[in-house]
Amino acid sequence: MFSSEVRLFGIREEPYIIGIYLPTGAYLSTQRLPKIIQPQSAPYGAASIVFPTEIEQDSVIFKDNTATRDTMQDRVHTHANGKRWTLDHPELGTGTLPITPYLSAEYFEQERQKIFTRTWISTGKKVEEIPQPGDYLVLDIAVGKTSVLLVRGKDGRVRGFHNVCKHRGNRLAWKDRGACGTGLMCRFHGWTYAADGRLIGVPEEDMFFDFDKRDYGLSPVATDVWEGFIFINLDPDPPETLHQYLGEVVDLLRGYAFDRLPLSWSYTAEQKCNWRILRDSQLEFYHGKALHQQFAGKVMINKQQPSCHVLDAKLFRRHSMMSFYGDRRNTQRTPMELLMAQFGASFKTFPGMRDMDRWPLGVNPTRSRQWFFDIYYIFPNFHLVILSPFLFVAHTMLPETVNRSTWNARGYFPQPTTAAESVTREYNKCLARDVWLEDGSTLENTQRGIESGVLSQYPVQDQELLIRHAHKVAEELLANDGQAG
Amino acid sequence: MADTRLPEPFADLEPLAAVWALATETERNQQRLSSTMAQIQAFYDTLLPRMEAVLTYLSTFPPEPPAALPQEARRLLYLALAMAEITTAVELHQQPSVPAGFDPQRFIPDHERTKR
Ligand code: FES
Ligand SMILES: [Fe+2]
Repeated sequence: MFSSEVRLFGIREEPYIIGIYLPTGAYLSTQRLPKIIQPQSAPYGAASIVFPTEIEQDSVIFKDNTATRDTMQDRVHTHANGKRWTLDHPELGTGTLPITPYLSAEYFEQERQKIFTRTWISTGKKVEEIPQPGDYLVLDIAVGKTSVLLVRGKDGRVRGFHNVCKHRGNRLAWKDRGACGTGLMCRFHGWTYAADGRLIGVPEEDMFFDFDKRDYGLSPVATDVWEGFIFINLDPDPPETLHQYLGEVVDLLRGYAFDRLPLSWSYTAEQKCNWRILRDSQLEFYHGKALHQQFAGKVMINKQQPSCHVLDAKLFRRHSMMSFYGDRRNTQRTPMELLMAQFGASFKTFPGMRDMDRWPLGVNPTRSRQWFFDIYYIFPNFHLVILSPFLFVAHTMLPETVNRSTWNARGYFPQPTTAAESVTREYNKCLARDVWLEDGSTLENTQRGIESGVLSQYPVQDQELLIRHAHKVAEELLANDGQAG
Repeated sequence: MADTRLPEPFADLEPLAAVWALATETERNQQRLSSTMAQIQAFYDTLLPRMEAVLTYLSTFPPEPPAALPQEARRLLYLALAMAEITTAVELHQQPSVPAGFDPQRFIPDHERTKR
């Protein structure tokens, strides 16, 4: 055994460490840590921890006291490069994955019934989009065969309801957004509902029989909010709350500027492809050097380990994350790029590494100076891509049928304070949009490719681990009738 | 737009503004996609040496919505936004469109529908 004073990288209520640096320069990531750790309050999160002997020597990565913080980062990275993250998860295996889930209507129907209508799904919307009491949004959730009304009540709470009039089933709100003021009235016979779903007005009520308005309030849809993002669950009685469902992700991203970065751009595209094709397209960055060659190719160059780009990978019960290597200083300093950096910021060359020590635990979790971005995949339909303290991207993907899906891609970027900053924001938007157009180019082509029947399975690279994990998660839910495994 | 002019220090950029000072991303993107690379390059090459001055000038005005800006400054802002639009064509793709990219007409900018 040995005992050592270390700087804590993160603790939850129960002693639980996400990753630490030893004063010797070693970085220990997630699962390799001892469970019994006694943090003691000390300046800057320092704590004494005792490592049991079971810790293998090779998990204490570096023992050289002379490592500075910067060289330490390089070494941590070199260590990570020799790694195959997949091998940390033997339960996932290393085999190929089947194509059937991408093509089969029967499989899709199972996913519809046991995943999309039983679990928390992202609407992609934020509470700011429903600012005032009575304001509402309507979302057509084809995968749940319903239309959902999200409305802010007088009490400030955002609630969800099936957008279905309880008289004879007419669609209640017809616009995709609006303000219902004193109530929302069905156009068919004029029943009126309050923003909290109560039925408050029935023309000629006395002509009904044995009728009580309280029996005919709108049917609720479980709705909850995390960091401003609105999630719904079409299960009338969800077995867990949204926060329970999100688990570790809540802790890892707590403190990120979700509340300070406004929605700055949002694109929606209907895609004639299975939702998994869309989902997978944003779940790995193996494609970075090829598909996004111009944008990311040089950033990803890593002389020591040319084929490894993952700094960290964490698989949770449902969700997952990956942190990617990249040195944005390698990007060509083009003239407009320099100007944009001068008058605002560009995520292409400037990751904004200042104050990295104070970033949320889960953003650049290895605290690498060669950090490109992190992907957080919130199963099944939400990806957060954190590119910088000043830019994150949110993808919301919803299936409609086995071969049609909707993709909403959004950028959250600081509100400009001058017209010049409006220009730098536009530049960042156009850059992100063009990268997404590259992603978009693969989707329907992949659908056509697999419909040809040429593939029955496909191989999965180490950097595609999140796809492998997501497949396993879905298989478990399907096997267990939508219940947590 | 035709009846407004650029702010006086940028009057020489008027021929560019006549083509490129467009109010929406969709219009600017369509202008980019319907232009030849030579036209885009000429726009970039002419505006680039003035771009620092343009941004310095625009720094003295409030951000979008453009209604908050005097008409002349607004026209200059639209021109600068078009420069942001075409920069990826020049500095990244070396062609007007994203090579083999998804159809931009099917990539609908919701932010233009729900004006901030
Ligand atoms: S169906 Fe709505 S009032 Fe009759
Ligand atoms: Fe991509």
